[in-house]
Amino acid sequence: MMRPVEHLHLEHVLQTVGALEAVVLRSFGPHGGQVLFTRDTGQAMLSRSGTRILTALRLEHPLARMVVECVWRHNAKTGDGSKTFILLLASLLRMIHTAASKDPHVSLTHNSKEAAKAATARLLADKLLAFALDELDDLISVGVVPYGCVLSWKDFTAKTQSPVQKLLSSFFYTRLGQSNCDFISNLLCEMLTHWKFQHDPPSGSLQFINDNFPALHTPVLGFPISCSRLIEGQVIHRDFATPLTEPDGGSVKVVVFTGHLQPKLLNAGEVLELGCEALGEQENRGNGTSILHYSTFAEISLEYVFSNLQSLGVSVLLSAVKQSAAVLSLATQAEICVVECVSEDELSLFTHVMVKPCSLVICGSGEGQTEQYAAAFQEAIRMVLTTWEPLNTRPTTASKMVIHSHKSTSLHTGDTKPTYGFPCQNSVLEPGCVVPAGGTFEFLLNHALLQHISVCDNHESFPAASQLLANALLSVPRQIYSHSPRYFLQAQAMVLGSVQNHVHPFVMLDSGLESVSCKYHLVLAVLQCVTRLFQIDTMLHTHTRLNTQSRRLANISWEDTEDEAEN
Amino acid sequence: MSRVVKKSPSVCTDLPLDNTDICNKLSLLKQLLISCFGPAGRLKQIHNNIGGRVISTSTSSVLLSALSSSQPFINLIRTSVLNHVSRFNDCGLFTAILCLTLLEQAKQSGLRRNVSIIVNKHLLGLCTSYLQGQNCGCKVKLDFCSSQYFITLAFSVISSKPACVLTEPEALHISKLAVQAFLLTVPCNNTGVARLGKTLTVCVEGHPVLDSAVFPGLLVDMPDIFFLNAENLHGRSLCTVLFSASLAGDLCELGDGNIELHGDADTDSQILDQLLELGKQVVQDGVNLFVCQKVIHPVLQQYLRGQSVTVIERLGISLMESLSQLAGAQPVATLHTRIPPKAYGKVKELTIKQFGSKTMLHIHPSGESAICTMILCHRNDTMLSELKVVCQKTEHVLRLTLREPCALMGGGCTETHLAAYIRNKCIKEVIESASLLGCSQTEYLLGAEGFCRSLESVAAALDHKCGNSLTDLTHAHYWTLPADVVEDHMENSLGVCGCGLVESCPSKKWTYLNTKYPEFSPAPVSKGTHLQVRVLDSFTSKLSGLQVAVETANLALDVQYIIQDTN
Repeated sequence: MMRPVEHLHLEHVLQTVGALEAVVLRSFGPHGGQVLFTRDTGQAMLSRSGTRILTALRLEHPLARMVVECVWRHNAKTGDGSKTFILLLASLLRMIHTAASKDPHVSLTHNSKEAAKAATARLLADKLLAFALDELDDLISVGVVPYGCVLSWKDFTAKTQSPVQKLLSSFFYTRLGQSNCDFISNLLCEMLTHWKFQHDPPSGSLQFINDNFPALHTPVLGFPISCSRLIEGQVIHRDFATPLTEPDGGSVKVVVFTGHLQPKLLNAGEVLELGCEALGEQENRGNGTSILHYSTFAEISLEYVFSNLQSLGVSVLLSAVKQSAAVLSLATQAEICVVECVSEDELSLFTHVMVKPCSLVICGSGEGQTEQYAAAFQEAIRMVLTTWEPLNTRPTTASKMVIHSHKSTSLHTGDTKPTYGFPCQNSVLEPGCVVPAGGTFEFLLNHALLQHISVCDNHESFPAASQLLANALLSVPRQIYSHSPRYFLQAQAMVLGSVQNHVHPFVMLDSGLESVSCKYHLVLAVLQCVTRLFQIDTMLHTHTRLNTQSRRLANISWEDTEDEAEN
Repeated sequence: MSRVVKKSPSVCTDLPLDNTDICNKLSLLKQLLISCFGPAGRLKQIHNNIGGRVISTSTSSVLLSALSSSQPFINLIRTSVLNHVSRFNDCGLFTAILCLTLLEQAKQSGLRRNVSIIVNKHLLGLCTSYLQGQNCGCKVKLDFCSSQYFITLAFSVISSKPACVLTEPEALHISKLAVQAFLLTVPCNNTGVARLGKTLTVCVEGHPVLDSAVFPGLLVDMPDIFFLNAENLHGRSLCTVLFSASLAGDLCELGDGNIELHGDADTDSQILDQLLELGKQVVQDGVNLFVCQKVIHPVLQQYLRGQSVTVIERLGISLMESLSQLAGAQPVATLHTRIPPKAYGKVKELTIKQFGSKTMLHIHPSGESAICTMILCHRNDTMLSELKVVCQKTEHVLRLTLREPCALMGGGCTETHLAAYIRNKCIKEVIESASLLGCSQTEYLLGAEGFCRSLESVAAALDHKCGNSLTDLTHAHYWTLPADVVEDHMENSLGVCGCGLVESCPSKKWTYLNTKYPEFSPAPVSKGTHLQVRVLDSFTSKLSGLQVAVETANLALDVQYIIQDTN
């Protein structure tokens, strides 16, 4: 039983991505809202994160699933830009479609108009990607970076309205909404400041927080969000198993055990033989035949452990497993407090942290909320990591851009002294570069692309591609200002005005900040996704043998591991 | 062969607050909760479709857990309130009704979603800072030198649960007991970290409520009273030992392997000998009370009783903890090692108490122990179980006063007072606030009006006799006017306000709630009043309830899209 082969038309791709766009738009931009979704377990979740929303849709269409996978991969890396991803993708596809439909050179080698269109589209997509891989980093460093500023790691101070706080605040605006974004970004800033390792590069401590986040945060339900706070120290998410003895003040010595303290005398499958004459004689002891001999041994060895711990001055015992009643009783007598069943994450954090730890308490009225906040925190950390990530691109073209990237200034100091000195020879985009949010990046890149076309008019083979990308980029700010097109024009005029007058566009300070590095990755990821989409021409719906055997159960379908066949 | 069922695509709902079905469900839920609100609230009977027990209740925690909806939007609000209740044990209906009314008002106002959210958030900030401030006119400072306010607070909680079916003297009696129990569990002469004690509740069915009582110490079931040694009863301090391990002679700690016996080895008698050895040691050490969490071997029991030791077995883990705190004993779980002297504890005396068919052993603490037992009596099982829940909630509400020793005026007066304060404040600061929030002045005032009306309608929900809800124009307290009263004789039939602190007099002016009235700054009630406040609400839980209600309403307003995974 073979289903018909489905030839993929450009329209199908467009429709699918258009549908995704329609969903994502609901939580895009300053006027977007939350999406509430219930998992198959019945658990409710809230999100404004594009990736989570798209994943929650549980899409069936193989194309849509592929797009979601691309978004997911991009988000896993940068933590940001998944909604813009879909928006830009849809816009690019529409433009490619228009361009391909208009193309007068329908080749005779193609037997249908559709096939010709698809071929043109594929060609355009390939050109776009090639152009981006070749030129995008240079364009950004010439056309965008000079109008942005470089944040230094020193900016991670808890004081409000520091540039880093602004960057985080605009990120949380898109994830959690307007009402709590400042509060939450302050919390994260404080946390980052606290965890800043003395000599390590910033990425070290960020990576550390990202890796240990489950052990570093405590969700608390039933309290308003405003009760969220940082607390010094690490929270062990377990209660004491023995009565809490009052600390004498001063430092508390803690011991960590991962196994059972009471020795298990007999493991499964082992046999203890009692009353054996020969054994008794050999040991030459009267109680060799007694079971008590063995249980006494177990207790006495435990007593030794605790007298040792006591002499070491240990007053808290953390255990990964549940201990026996004898252990708890002896611990109480030795005035050692026991905490059982501590999770592996928490124990490893506890044993590895050398600096004074600090953890985050996330309050919320429901589980959906605290989970959303925790996810946003982690994504924000990934976003900051990407922002500071040094981009190792081709050293050859980098050298010609040095003069421009020099202009970057630091917001922190307020004067024009560059914080990072000379940019690395092999890095075009400086780590930590940001531009004002609200479409500035798109306006600037659009402008740079148009400039590029006019400069290298005939030498390059990409004018159509760069024109297309330039137009598609504008769809992002257009959506941001969708509630009032007048603002769109105003914002564009403002950005272009500052480009012409060589003014840094930081007059728009109240609009927040965005990471240039994240945007760069985004544009590349979208273009890669476009190319991937156009590489497919046919979908084959296959069935496993399981399905043909059970035709009666037509309503219950069997999921195939390979539903789609990529060409 | 694993069956993999294909995931079906999710069900989506756009703009839930514009959806008629959801709006109907919300208003139904609101009507239902309003009808339960307050001391005059109507009860609801809950019975499930599988023939479970029928529950009569008006408590939000029981009601809302029963009202699970297939609509995730409703569940979002429901779980928020439930989480608040599980944390604070009070003000659940207040939170739910306020949240639902805020949603309704926001929809009626026709304001943009974002504006409603930001105005609500701003007004919440005004409310919390007013309530927490020094000049708050609806707050009462609690004085630990007098129990009057505490009894009023307890009485307000207990009388707001009509399912307990208590007369006023009965409610007062229970309130006094609750305060007594609360005071007994607060340790007095404790330096350093103070640990609150525990109230254990024993329910006795079929006895008058006025027979309920509170005793310091523990009362444990004692079915075999004739085993009690008369010597140990009355007026004799008793040396106590507690065992947390089983003394039945089993070998569970040895492991999972098998034991093979040869020759004449008799494990059972060996173990029993060991147990008797332990008994001898205990008797030598002068123990009079021998308690085991688990089972004691009958031979050992027999031996101990023969040595005039009182034996209690199968105490259970919950009582064990309290008893070890009461006696100052450390539970022992080792059978072979010598019991250290400090593991022994002391109790003052043992007495027998009789409650109906129940015979109980009363263990008196030798010093101050912070452990007490509350005997609750009621006519039947249903009322008794509700009374037990209510008493536990009351204890929690009383404990919250330790952290924040204040209470809010109850009976609807806090709500109307707060509404009047916010109205006045908004009009005075409209220009600054509107520009701060980035909305127009009209929008701001419209949002504020909706917020104040929501607060007032929570107060009005207390009235279930179709009367008129009024507020006075000096203190802005809440008054109800019976439906059949002519307006000319208003001041005669009004009596006192909801909380009982303001008296009606001819010079007073009133206005109907939810009508326009000239805004004014509500005055605090002068200290010289001869009236006693009759209804008090928990400050901590009401404040948190207010925050949770507004935050949940804001969250619900922000939801743009619902995705339901139907797998």
